[in-house]
This record gives sequence, C-alpha cells and structure tokens, in this order.
Amino acid sequence: MLETLLPILIFAALGLAVIGAIRRIRLWRQGRPAAVPLLKGLAALPRRYLVDLHHVVERDKMISNTHVATAGGFVAAAVLMILVHGLGLAQGVLGWLLLAASATMFVGSLFVARRRRNPPARLSKGPWMRLPKSLMAFSLSVFAITLPAVGILPADFGHWLLALVLAAVVVWGLGEMVFGMTWGGPMKHAFAGALHLAFHRRAERFSTKGGQGNRSTGLKALNLDDEAAPLGVETPADFTWNQLLGFDACVQCGRCESVCPALAAGQPLNPKKLIQDMVVGMAGGSNANYAGTPYPGKPTGEHHGSPHGPIVAPDATTGGKALVDAETLWSCTTCRACVEECPMMIEHVDAIVDMRRHLTLERGQTPNKGAEVLDNLIATDNPGGFDPGSRLHWAADLNLPLMADVKQAEVLLWLGDGAFDMRNQRTLRALVKILHAAEVEFAVLGTEERDSGDVARRLGDEATFQSLAKRNIATLSKYRFQRIVTCDPHSFHVLGNEYGELGGPDFNANWEVRHHSTFIAELYDAGRLAFAPWKGGSVTYHDPCYLGRYNGEFDAPRNVLKALGIEVKEMERSGFRSRCCGGGGGAPITDIPGERRIPDMRMNDVKETGSELVAVGCPQCTAMLEGVVDATAEVRDIAELVADALVARPAGEAVDASRRSAGKTTVEEVL
Amino acid sequence: MAFDAIFQPIEIGKLTIRNRVVSTAHAEVHATDGGMTTDRYVKYYEEKAKGGCGLCICGGSSVVSIDSPQAWWSSVNLSTDRIIPHFQNLADAVHKHGGKIMIQITHMGRRSRWDGFDWPALVSPSGIREPVHRSTCKTIEEEEIWRIIGDFAQAARRAKEGGLDGVELSAVHQHLIDQFWSPRVNKREDQWGGSFEGRMKFGLEVLKAVRAEVGDDFCVGMRICGDEFHPDGLSHEDMKQIAAYYDATGQLDFFGVIGSGCDTHNTLANVIPNMSYPPEPFLHLAAGIKEVVSVPVIHAQNIKDPNQAQRILEGGYVDLVGMTRAHIADPHIIAKIKMGQIDQIKQCVGANYCIDRQYQGLDVLCIQNAATSREYMGLPHIIEKSEGPKRKVVVVGGGPGGMEAAKVAAERGHDVTLFEAAEALGGQITIAAQAPQRDQIAGITRWYQLELARLNVDLRLGTRADEATLLDLRPDIVVLATGGQPFLSQYPEWGYTENPEESLVVSTWDVLSGKVAPGKNVLIYDAICEFSGVSAADYLADKGAKVEIVTDDIKPGAAVGGTTFPTYYRSLYEKEVIMTSDLMLHKVYREGDGLVAVLENEYTGALEERVVDQVVVENGVRPDESLYYALKEQSRNKGQLDLEALYAAQAQPCLSEEGAEGFLLFRLGDCTAPRNTHAAIYDALRICKDF
Repeated sequence: MLETLLPILIFAALGLAVIGAIRRIRLWRQGRPAAVPLLKGLAALPRRYLVDLHHVVERDKMISNTHVATAGGFVAAAVLMILVHGLGLAQGVLGWLLLAASATMFVGSLFVARRRRNPPARLSKGPWMRLPKSLMAFSLSVFAITLPAVGILPADFGHWLLALVLAAVVVWGLGEMVFGMTWGGPMKHAFAGALHLAFHRRAERFSTKGGQGNRSTGLKALNLDDEAAPLGVETPADFTWNQLLGFDACVQCGRCESVCPALAAGQPLNPKKLIQDMVVGMAGGSNANYAGTPYPGKPTGEHHGSPHGPIVAPDATTGGKALVDAETLWSCTTCRACVEECPMMIEHVDAIVDMRRHLTLERGQTPNKGAEVLDNLIATDNPGGFDPGSRLHWAADLNLPLMADVKQAEVLLWLGDGAFDMRNQRTLRALVKILHAAEVEFAVLGTEERDSGDVARRLGDEATFQSLAKRNIATLSKYRFQRIVTCDPHSFHVLGNEYGELGGPDFNANWEVRHHSTFIAELYDAGRLAFAPWKGGSVTYHDPCYLGRYNGEFDAPRNVLKALGIEVKEMERSGFRSRCCGGGGGAPITDIPGERRIPDMRMNDVKETGSELVAVGCPQCTAMLEGVVDATAEVRDIAELVADALVARPAGEAVDASRRSAGKTTVEEVL
Repeated sequence: MAFDAIFQPIEIGKLTIRNRVVSTAHAEVHATDGGMTTDRYVKYYEEKAKGGCGLCICGGSSVVSIDSPQAWWSSVNLSTDRIIPHFQNLADAVHKHGGKIMIQITHMGRRSRWDGFDWPALVSPSGIREPVHRSTCKTIEEEEIWRIIGDFAQAARRAKEGGLDGVELSAVHQHLIDQFWSPRVNKREDQWGGSFEGRMKFGLEVLKAVRAEVGDDFCVGMRICGDEFHPDGLSHEDMKQIAAYYDATGQLDFFGVIGSGCDTHNTLANVIPNMSYPPEPFLHLAAGIKEVVSVPVIHAQNIKDPNQAQRILEGGYVDLVGMTRAHIADPHIIAKIKMGQIDQIKQCVGANYCIDRQYQGLDVLCIQNAATSREYMGLPHIIEKSEGPKRKVVVVGGGPGGMEAAKVAAERGHDVTLFEAAEALGGQITIAAQAPQRDQIAGITRWYQLELARLNVDLRLGTRADEATLLDLRPDIVVLATGGQPFLSQYPEWGYTENPEESLVVSTWDVLSGKVAPGKNVLIYDAICEFSGVSAADYLADKGAKVEIVTDDIKPGAAVGGTTFPTYYRSLYEKEVIMTSDLMLHKVYREGDGLVAVLENEYTGALEERVVDQVVVENGVRPDESLYYALKEQSRNKGQLDLEALYAAQAQPCLSEEGAEGFLLFRLGDCTAPRNTHAAIYDALRICKDF
C-alpha cells in the first residue's frame, strides 16, 4: 500500500510546495527592482551557505552541529526520498544512504528538541515549538518506510493499519518540511534563506575563492536625481524585492535581540520583531501571531500592515497605528550588533535607515532634536550649529599647517565635529602632540572641512549627507596626501566606506583613511614613538561600533595600549560583540526614552572588569560614557593616554624604562 | 558650545590670542636683582600659560626710566638692556604653552616714593603732591619730558628684543601719561598742558616714539581709566574723547580700560574692587570706551567666574576680559573650564590679600592658594597622587588649615578623616563671613567643601575629637588644626569669665556668630586692628546698635589693607560709628543695668569712661593646645617639624622613616600661633604635599 501511497504523497507535497513557492516569490516581487545577477548568485549559493553563513552559525558550536546534522540530514533525506520512494529507485546503496540521512537528521532533531525544552527568551515560540516534533516525525517516518525498501524488513511488514499510521506521519513530516517550507511554516527559513544568500543585496560581504568578503557596512546611496524612485521606504513594497526576501529568511533565533542595546535599555525596538513586522507587512495582516519578545512597552496584536500601506502611520500625533511606530525606528543606534550576529545575513540597519529616509525626507518627522540638528547641518555644515569659522578655534595657539597653504602633506588630519566640543578638543590636542612627537608631516583643512555627513545620513537625510559629502569630496580632491587620519570613527567610516560611491572611481585611489589608533600603532611599530612605562591602574577598552564592527579594527587600539604597557582587562562584550555606547545613528538626538540608558549599561560593563579607566577611540563614545553619573572609571581617549606617556624618542637604542613621562595631561595639553 | 565666547581666538594687531581671557598688568613684586624677571617671575607666568590663559600682560608699573623707582615694589626695570635675556626666558616659558605675553611700561611720575634707594626728585606736570604715597615732586622740565619719551621707546625695544609680544603703555592709576591728561594734576600753560591737545601731547609723543622704534609687527596698547571719579578729574566723556583721539592715530592695537582714578585712598579701593563690590562694577565704562575705538578693548575688575566672563563677552561689552585675581587664586582656571571641572576652580573671593600685600611692598600672594607665586619653590597647583604607601590621615579642625590639609592628603591618595566640632566647615571664615559685605569670604569654604566631597574625605562634623577617638582610628598621621579661642582672659580687669551670664565682656566672635545678641549701645575695644574689629562694628551698627570702636593703635582697622579699609570706612561712617584711637581698655565694671568701660589714654594716662550695655573685645586668638599636648608624647616625631625642610618646601624627613611604629603628629594654623588664613593654608600645603 505504501509503495502506491508514497509517490503520490511526495509529489503532491512537492507540487503544493511549488505553488507555495510561486506565491511566496510573488510576495517578494512586490518590492522594487534590484539589480542582482540571478545565476551568478545561485552559483555562489553553496559557498555562501557552507562558508560565510556557517562562519556565523559556528559561533555557537552546539547549534552549529545540530544544524549540520538536522539540515544536512534533511536535504540528503529529501533528495534520496524522492529517488527511493518517489521514483522507486530503492536498489543498491540509495536506500542505505536514505536510512543514514534520516537517522542523522533524527539525531539532530533530538538536539533541536532539547534546545526547545527550556528555550532562551530570545527564541520565538509559537509554531517553532512544534518543529522538533515535525523533524522527528519526518526523519523517523522516512527511516521506517525505508527499512522495507532495503530489505531489512519484509515488504509486507506489519498490518495495513500500521502502514496507514506511518503514512499519516509521513504526511505530517512532508507537510512541515516541504509544504510548510513555502507556505509560511518555520521551514520557510530554508527556502527564503537560501535564496536570500543567493540574491543578497551586499554580494561583497561574502567570500569568494579569491579571498575573504569585506564587511560591506557603508549605506547605499539614494539616487536623488531619479524622480521615480521613492525617497526612502514608506510601505513594505518600497523595499527592493531582495530586501523583502531577506526579511522572509529570518529564523527568529533572536541572536539579534540578545545583543541589541536599545532593547536592553527598554526602548521600543527589537530587531527580530522589526524583521517579522516587515514579513507581516509584506503578506498583509496583523502582528498578533508573533510569538517572540515584543517591543518594550508595546503589546503585540495592536499593529497591522499591508504591502502597499504605510509602515508608520502618517499622523503619529493622533495615535494612529500602522505596522511599526516611528519611535521603534528612531531607537536604533545603528551599532550593527544585530547584523553582525544574524546567521541569516539580514541587513537590519539598511532597512531602518531606508524607513528613516522616508520619515525625514518626505514627512519631516525627525523627532526631538533631529530637525534642529539637520537645520544646523544645512545652515552651518555642522550639527551643533556652530559658527563654521570657529572650527579651528581650539588650535589657535598650535599653528597647524593648513592644506590651503601647503597644498600637500603626508597626512591630512581630519578633525571631525569634535573640533567644536571642548572634551574632544583635548583628544585632538593630544593627537597633535603625538603627530609632532613622531615628526609626521601633516596639515588640516581647517574651516574648509565640513561635517562628514554621518549623522545626517543615519537620521535619514540623504540629501544633506550627499550635499556635505560632495563638498568635502571636492575639497579633498584639491589636495595631495597619502592618508587621512582622524580620531572620529564615524568620519573614518564615512570617508572610507561611503564617499567612494559619490566621489567617482578615482576619488580615493591615492590615499587611505586611518583611525588614529591604527596610525599611532603604525608610528610605534616604525619606531617613531616611545612611551614611558604605564603607572596608572587597570584599564579596559571599549570598541567603538564604527571602528570595530563597521571597519573590523579591533587590534590596533589594543596594540597601542599594549605598547603603553597596559594589559587590557577585556569586558565580556568586547571586540565584534562590543556593546554600543548609545551614541551612534543619531540616537542621542532622537532620544527615544527607555527604562534605562545605554551608556549606563556600558559603564556597568566597565565596572564589572574592576577597571579604573576605560580607553576609548571615539568622541561620541567619550561623550556618552563620560555622561554617566557616578561612574567608577575614568574615560580617556587612546590619544590622550599616548600623549601622556610620550618620551623623547631614543636615538637608535631601546627606550630607557626609567625614563619618566612628561606628566599628566592635566594642564597644557588640554588647552 | 558652552563658553564659546571665551574660547574664541582674537587678533590683537598681528597677534593671535587663543582665547579672550587676560591676566592683566599688576605689580607682582617678584622682580629681583634690580628689577629683573628672574626664576620666580617666570614660573609665576608660566603657570598661567600652562593653565591656558590667553594673554598675560605682566609687570604692572614696570618702569622705563631710572627716576621712576622700581625697588619699592620690586617691579620690572626696563631702563637697562640687562633685562633683555631675562625677557627671553619669560617669553619662552609662556610661548612654550601657547600663551602670549606683553608687559606694561610706564613712568610713574609723582606716584612713587622718593625717600629711599636713589633718593630721586619725582617728576610731575605741575609739581602737585600725591596723597596716597605722601609724595612730593618737582615740576617736570621740557628736557626731562623728551628724555622720558626716549626712555619709553628704548623700553619698548627691549621688550621686543626680549621676545615679548607687546607693550601696554600705562596711562592709568595716575602715572605720568595720565598725570599730563588730568587737569586735576596738570596745571601747565605750555605746549604740554592747557588745551586738550596740550594735555594729550606727552602721551602722543610717547606713542609715536614707541611705534617708530618697534614698527608695525609688535603690539602696542594703552591702559586707561574709564572715569577718574573726581569732580575735578577726567569724566567718562573726557575719557571717551581721549580714547577716540589716540585711537584715531591708528598706532594703538588695543585699549585696556578700568574704572576709577586712584590718587586717593577712597578711589584706590575702586581700582581693585574687593568683595564688597558687585560683579564687574565698572564694565559700563569699558563698554563706553569700546563704543568710540576701533581696536579690541580689555576690561578687568571683579570678573572671577567663567559664566560671568562668558556673559560679558557674549554681550559684546568688551573684547577680552581680565581675570587677574581669578588667575592668582587659580592659574588653571581655563584648563578647568575646558576639562569640565568648573566646580574645581578655586574662585577669587575678593579678599584682596594679594593687592594689599603689594601696597605694603610685599610679594603678591593669594589668601587661599599657597602655591601661587611659589611655583619656583616647587609648590604644586596640582597635587600628584603619592607613589608611596597609602596612609590613614586624621585631620582635626575644619578651618582653612584643616580643610587644606585634608584636601592635599586626599589628593595624595590617602584615607582621610576630618573632625570638626562645629556643624559646618569653615572655622573662623564662617565667623568672618557674617559681617556686612564680607559674606563672599565664605567662598573659600565652599571650594573646600566641594573638593572634600569630590575626594571622598570622611567628614565628621559636629564631632569634637578627643585622644581616644583619634587613636581608635589607628592613624599614621594626625594633623591638628584646632585653631583657638578669643583671648579675653589676658587682663582680669576686663571682667571676662567663661560663664556668659557673668562675663562683663564678649568677643567679636560671640557677636558675629550670633551667639550673643547685639547690644543697643556698644563699645568695641579692638587691640588687633585687623578685620574682626571693624567687621563687628559694621555688623552691630547694621543691627541698629550705637557703636564706638576704640583702639590703642593709630586708628581702628589700621592693619586692614589699603584696598579694603576704605570700604569699611564708607560703611562705618555712614552708620555713624565713632572711631577713636589711642585709648586702652583699662577696666570694665557693672553699674546698675549697664556697664562702665574705663579707657586709658596711651599717651597721657588720663582715664575716661563710657557707659554702655555691651563691651566687645577683640584681642586676638589664644591657641587651643590641649589636644596637641595630649598626643605629643605618644607621637613618633613628638609633634616637631623639621624647619629646614619646611622652609625649603621639602618633605618632612620623618615621613620616610621605614617601618617605624606609631603616628606622626603635625600642627598648623592658629593652634600653633595665631596668624592668618594664608599662613594656615601655606603650612598645610607644605607639610601635607609630601604625605
């Protein structure tokens, strides 16, 4: 009986799956076009899955092994099942292989089941709770129906009733694993996930045979000249189709939510929920079926959306609700912790900025200080609204060479808007002292420099960003230099990763951008700096998001600290898992209230190491962390620590360890 | 940006100043070796530049000619090329830290003394005596005028060759230039007087000669007053006319403006406004001058606070603010603004200890900052953490000495406990602050309160420490700063007893602290003649009492400095307080409901009586030594200080004795011998900085 039934079941399931797939694909295709090489993408899929995705999944060995067994077992079992039971090719080794595959899958599913027994809060529940059972149903039933096929059991083994039960279990398994895959069940992640990898909007993230992928963290420019293109994303259908596909790939593992600083602070954002809301919007309906952690303070079931309906209710003041509330989008610090953790390679930050672009450019609804900051940027080229002519006031007594005078220099020192901030001016002065000590030939743009556009862009004001960027690019193009050095990771990121798209192919062909920690490390390695031994207390290091996760620079700051004689007491969350200070993405400007403050949590991380000092490398981090009341640690920029420790460079010989530093930077260097 | 107006650079002539804060010209009384800017002088200015001051104009009343004596106030002598290498040291020290430095140059004319050193005949336009210095002078002759004009030019050359950034011509404080300006002093009928142009001529010729000597790329400014405040002197409108006249030459790069002339005791008090004045009392005069001139205007007078400076600059009243006493109190004021440490700024309280010393020919020191002017001795403005062992330091007494000791010890990284018997810190400062117009002296305490809180010093207020309590804490070091009590028991005839019901006399502390209610008809007997007697008189009169203040000294308040006794006198005369000198308090006895004070004339021995209802006696402080003698024998050093180390500001040798048992005992301030606030703080700093 089963021999007759199985092919029917298998092909019926496959048939339904194809119909589901077409329906699903049509959902994705509601999105705007995106130029993605389809065949090339599909060809790259195995490598992207087996190498790049696995690299992320592997951070949790247990889950990685579980997934290899379960998914690997399933893919093999499914193919073999079609051959063995669908087409009746049971002879020889195929049946045995099918047995092995289903057994492997079963073992994997046991571990899936174990994980679901006391699931961590970050995992979504709902249909996901039945998945281990479905996996077991599929693997066990496939195993059972294959036993007769290889001759272990007689073909007519058992009662017809048993066959019927078995058939029912097979139906269950096929239903979840094949039908459910394209009709929106938990297994959707395999289907959408695979295609998402193939058609990913940032193909450059993935490795190729030629080498590693890059971090690809720069935001993509809006084409402001294309009148047909929407200014940002208003409705789900305004995303490109492969972005929608990416949302659909979400496996709801919640790795993103467990690292999200905004969620931890009780602000109304959960990256996983946001992605699920986009899925809801793409298909149309309410978020009532979401079975994971909600946005803090926002019960599920009250929001709904449709592919062509607005994501954010047009008039938020009347309390109208759509798919998500604006404050959810403005809670993001763009720290990329979610993106870094996502095993499905989903691009949460791109999506958030896309939606912010609509709110800012079309609706003018940048909240709190947002509008003022953008107005300032438009009027004065800096977010604080300071007199642009005062950018160099902090250096009135330093006689810094101006690019306008010297035309070329080894290093262009990019000041950033910290030049207007009294705290950051100390860092800048320390950096100047270091450059002098190493006899670096450098110059500054002075009042020709403008804000990099980072904040404007993250607040969704692409027009202001591009205006600033283009003028900076024009200025930079006038001069010759080998590298730009900056103590501001945001400028570093924008100059290095985002101007290229606007500056034309040769714009940055002749120079590189360096964060000051990288440059100081290079100077030290080249023997151009010498330090007195460290006499301070214990030190930890806070990785700025835009230096670390955005640009992969984790080592240079640590190498500099090591050169100073400091042994860094690492925080539990450091390196690529560093916790944001709360200062990125314009978050301090939009200032969405939560239950606690992100920088407080970060200073608590510092406290847990028992360190007396936290070294940083970002004006924004410095400002945020120094703003913490009753902090237990002092906040110093790496440049300040280096400037304090500088001693005269030895002529050829090793540094005399007894040499004393010039003293604390309490006075003249800060001025 | 907060304080953006302060941190806006400005061009003065061809010079860029990094911010808007100036340490204006004042007599430092530090130029040694015949008026040379030697080590102490250089270090004093280097500290300001290190601390971020934009521009220092040094050398108030630095002389250009040998008939304007410098030795009385150890001012800088620009009459010789010998000064040039000293200027180079000074300029290098300031420039190294990004600061700029100019010097005030002047000929003081009649405003000096002739009775010493070279015994000069002082010169003045019309030979009219100057009252403040009791100086007589000759009428200057044409040849002398031209010689002095030449001296100005040579002095400017020396400043330039020494690498300084500019000179400020003093036409203020009734120096020779403004002696020519003022019709009050200049009665000449020749080309150097009479008409407006005539009175302006000397200053103009000086300016022309100086500019011709130094060229265009060297700053030349002029300091003037905004109104002499004399009915027969130069009014504000006169000064605007003068400023516009000199500005029109195009040869000046800046003006410094202050309010008030100063050739009487009363006007002199305006020039360096003490704590009785409101903030920036004469800003309007500087703003008036700014209206009529085309170059930057500097104004200094009672600008002590960064918010105040920001407000003045933001309002555009003047272009630069002088914060001179603010820098004497805390040369790192700018650094602290920049580092967001506003609360750590030691703010000038206007006690005028600095300037009142200067008028006695003594070196300028700060009442509350013992490191100022002692940078050359290695006394630090920033106390570094000790690299030695962490110690348990117990300080007894929360007056200025005790507070400084606790602060310095805590900065060194030690575990510090401070006992104060009263409910609040401050000691005698708290009492002094009760008098009318003297409340700002409490700023000294306020700063220490903030600092001790920041440094987590364990404060035991309202707790009188005894031997057992102290030793329970197992201290490594005990610092006693327990002060003392009014010394009313010196003469039994005064009828003082500890029982306030029976005592015939009370102390100024009793009155000022409110412990004793003010009488209605009060005799104050002041044997000390410092602040407390006149403060008590002012306080009682303010409460409605009829007050007579009697002293055996030359006058009540005789030991109060030259910029402060006038403000007391203004208040006392207005309240009809009677001031009587030359009488000693012989005896007090009770008669009926009242008291009879018997006074004895110092010179004739004649007795006279006053019938009053309250006798207040100020007879100084008797040290409180009880705790010291209770602890002395148990301490390792027997309470002794190594004086050679102390005077050289070196570490006390007993601090470095290894492994020794027992605690070290130091005492300072009035519990050793009655001195003043500065003495207590200085001892605390020099003893505790090496803990």
